Amino acid sequence: MREDRARAERALEESLETAFAQRSSRRSFVGRSAGAMLLAGGLGSFLSACGITGTATKNVEALRAEAERVNHPKVPIGNWVFANWPLYMDKSVLKDFDREFGGKVKYVEEINDNNEFFGKVRQQLTQGRNIGRDIVVLTDPMAAKWVRSGFVSPYDKKNVPNAKNLVPNLQSIGYDPERQFTLPFQSGAVSLGYDIRATGGEIKSIKELFNPKYKGKTTMLTEPYDSASTVLIMQGKDPAKATLDDMLGAIEYIAEQNEKGQFRRFTGNDFTTDLTKGNVAIVLAYSGDMVQLQADNPNLRFAYAEEGCITFTDNLMLPAKVAHPYAAETMMNFLYEPEIAAKLCAYINYISPVDGIRPILEKSDPEIAENELIFPPDDVRKRLKLYPSLSTSEEQTMYEAMAKVTGG
Amino acid sequence: MSTEALPQKPTDPVTPHVPGVDDSATPRSPRGDTGRGRNLALGLWTALALTFLLAPILFMIVFSFNDNQGRFNFEWQGFTLKHWGDPFQNPDLAKALQNSLSIAVLTTIAATMLGTLLAIALVRHRFRGRTSADFFVFLPMASPEVVMGASLLAMFLVLGIGTGYVTILLAHIMFSISYVVVTVKSRLEGMDPHIEEAARDLGANEVTTFFRVTLPMIAPGVAAAAVLAFALSIDDYVITSFNAGQTQTFPLFIFGATRQGVPPQVNVLSTMLLVLVLLLMLGNVLLQRRLAKRDRISQAG
Amino acid sequence: MSLSLRRKMIPWWFAAPGLVWLIVFFAVPIFNQISVSLMSGDPEVGFELTWSFSTYADAVRDYHTQFLRSIGYAGLATIIDLIIAFPLAYFIAYKAGRFKGLLLLLVILPFFVSQVMRTASWQLILNDQGWAVARMQDLGIVSDGGQFLATGKAVVFGIAYNFLPFMVLPLYATLDRIDRRLIEAASDLYCSRFTAFRKVTLPLAVPGIFAGSLLVFIPACGDYINSSILGSSNTTMIGNVIQSKFLNVLDYPSAAALSFILMGVILLGIALYGRVLGTKNLTELAG
Repeated sequence: MREDRARAERALEESLETAFAQRSSRRSFVGRSAGAMLLAGGLGSFLSACGITGTATKNVEALRAEAERVNHPKVPIGNWVFANWPLYMDKSVLKDFDREFGGKVKYVEEINDNNEFFGKVRQQLTQGRNIGRDIVVLTDPMAAKWVRSGFVSPYDKKNVPNAKNLVPNLQSIGYDPERQFTLPFQSGAVSLGYDIRATGGEIKSIKELFNPKYKGKTTMLTEPYDSASTVLIMQGKDPAKATLDDMLGAIEYIAEQNEKGQFRRFTGNDFTTDLTKGNVAIVLAYSGDMVQLQADNPNLRFAYAEEGCITFTDNLMLPAKVAHPYAAETMMNFLYEPEIAAKLCAYINYISPVDGIRPILEKSDPEIAENELIFPPDDVRKRLKLYPSLSTSEEQTMYEAMAKVTGG
Repeated sequence: MSTEALPQKPTDPVTPHVPGVDDSATPRSPRGDTGRGRNLALGLWTALALTFLLAPILFMIVFSFNDNQGRFNFEWQGFTLKHWGDPFQNPDLAKALQNSLSIAVLTTIAATMLGTLLAIALVRHRFRGRTSADFFVFLPMASPEVVMGASLLAMFLVLGIGTGYVTILLAHIMFSISYVVVTVKSRLEGMDPHIEEAARDLGANEVTTFFRVTLPMIAPGVAAAAVLAFALSIDDYVITSFNAGQTQTFPLFIFGATRQGVPPQVNVLSTMLLVLVLLLMLGNVLLQRRLAKRDRISQAG
Repeated sequence: MSLSLRRKMIPWWFAAPGLVWLIVFFAVPIFNQISVSLMSGDPEVGFELTWSFSTYADAVRDYHTQFLRSIGYAGLATIIDLIIAFPLAYFIAYKAGRFKGLLLLLVILPFFVSQVMRTASWQLILNDQGWAVARMQDLGIVSDGGQFLATGKAVVFGIAYNFLPFMVLPLYATLDRIDRRLIEAASDLYCSRFTAFRKVTLPLAVPGIFAGSLLVFIPACGDYINSSILGSSNTTMIGNVIQSKFLNVLDYPSAAALSFILMGVILLGIALYGRVLGTKNLTELAG
């Protein structure tokens, strides 16, 4: 009967009260529990005698040497694991891959945040164990950290001949000059997203984010690599050459603006809600998300700021001690086939690092081919800037400073 | 004075005709007017509070029918059934739901068993350390989830245990046990211990007494505890997020998606889950009703 | 083994599996937190136990605002829930008649939809241009600027929403258990239903108020979902700090210290609250 359901629910609460009502008359529990707690405490401290191991494993030179002699022979694909961000893949591409090469890819959308993901697998990495994923997709600064700490395996370029299709401007990057460990998956830009009804006109400059006119009507990104670098660009500095002090200065500026109430809040990708719902006028946005938002609301615009903007790249990487390198490399190669890359691009709408897909899209999907967010025009490309490179401890200081501002 | 107290009569649950809100329509006594006003106000308040509780759920269901164009499901674009036609379109979402369901089922089984035994020990037996055990069992309910999640992760970190499906399961069983204990305990406390004593006096041993007497009597409490454990497990985000490792669960998927755009399939699957639970409950109610009826008939006969 | 000893062991056989589970996965980790909080180091070189008690001083110095805010928000939400839940529970217990079961089902219905999902729905419903915020402006809850989200109010709202069933259920349970003849007798004696309510129903409902308040207040103190979905950088709670330090900044010692302090504060709070309300309640019941 329904009454039974009611009684069942009541049961929980009733005994809660009894537990409490009796508690005040039970002084002796303190003494008795003390013994049990000491026992647990002893176990606890015994545990921590082990400490928590750090991340530094091997130096970059050792890794480079490993890359020189890397040789992954052709083997059956088998079952292997591809870890990526949510909604960052056209699933039919995976099906095609399985059909063409055999085996079965276990595709997990488990990376919501670079740091959070790193926290998940840190332990295995530092102990030099396999982390159970064969490809992971990480954004530049985190990719740099993995290379620096030796958490990556080099990939065998013989198995990835299509890597030649990589666009020229990404062929070398500070932390991996010869692309021995990382291969770009998608790129995007961090710049201004706005609602043209709210701003009443086009927005061109980063300064508008800090314009008192939009007080409380803007959002800022939580990730300091994105937000502080954007501030540096506004101040006329090149973030790629920025030092920790530059970044801390930029964070300081963000803190001042935040105290004045300039930002409604700090966001990750979730700036999308506030912008769509008209809660804010201008946001610091990721270009790929803006393409998606425009599908539902053409009043939402994205501007590559005239001062320039950060471009970020998410990279395909093989983690250290990777179990199925050949499968992973075959997938990397597959993703660099222009036809496949074009299909992927039409689906996820970020900037593809693969050359030669635009002609394909012009035939199949002209709207995408014309979209400046996916194919930035040349003058925009010139204004794209890269992230600063910081050491792990500098990065830690930066994150702590930013966490103080965002309140986390 | 006794007539003045009359309007209270209808609140008596034994009186068969008490149609709740509608009841206020018929004044029954000189004080009926104020009574009616009060009942109306109470009813209105109840309706408002329930609307408040259910509004986001309704919103979620409505947006499972939204014909959204891009990746985001924020703005109403028109009615469609397309998401309902293909709720498992996203294999990761399906996998996450599957993980959540299997973890919830395993948690329910394990926590209900451990918790029921513990509750019986705490209520039916007097033993050294019982009071402290009682308090200790209550502690997890008095701890914020973030503390439990973080401390478990810290322990796994120190021990070098990789987190994943198993660690989620360990954690879920841990936080469900206390709720099971508390639920079963209250059922036991409301029961006459003499029945069990009688069974023992009649020669039944501990095991027989447990299976033939105690367990059938506390069955409704155990069932309620199981439902509670299931609900707690399937909805847990905080503790799971600390201890999930590579494993994706339904709440984790949704939280990730709130940052990337919640696909309408999440709305569809959440609605389906809700309907499933409601059907299970309805089935349970009907079953109990039938059992009760049979009991009445057999008693009458 | 003698029969009496076997008898003596029986409760332990029953209790042991559950207790051991709780010790290993609840008590040991909590104490382990203490030692983690006394470690120092950084994610690159690792953390070692150095008995650095300064972590605690730093944690309190840097994050007392978030602590106070958490307690404030949780307290406010608890009061709001009490105000919403009492009449609701009263109605279900005494006035709902045969709809009792249905109403209770509606109260627990939210348990079967993910909390994250429901909170995300509120985020969409409560947008600045929306109907809900416009009504709140009419009522004067929201200022004319028309912003509700990303304020402390929104976070308190979210917490109150999420934990409301935990207040309703225990209140309902106690109210439902009160012998109705008592109330009838009381209203006969006092002549006024209000007095009867104040002198009989309310005191008898105290255990429910107590249990409900705890069930709302404790999880609310550690909550971070509401603040991260409905709030802003000015509404961060201690849960957000612990979460970010643990999972993003990877500053395990501070995170462990904060979480241990939180646990301590809450236990202390319960003890005080229990002493005040619990004993009073007991004496009243006895008298």
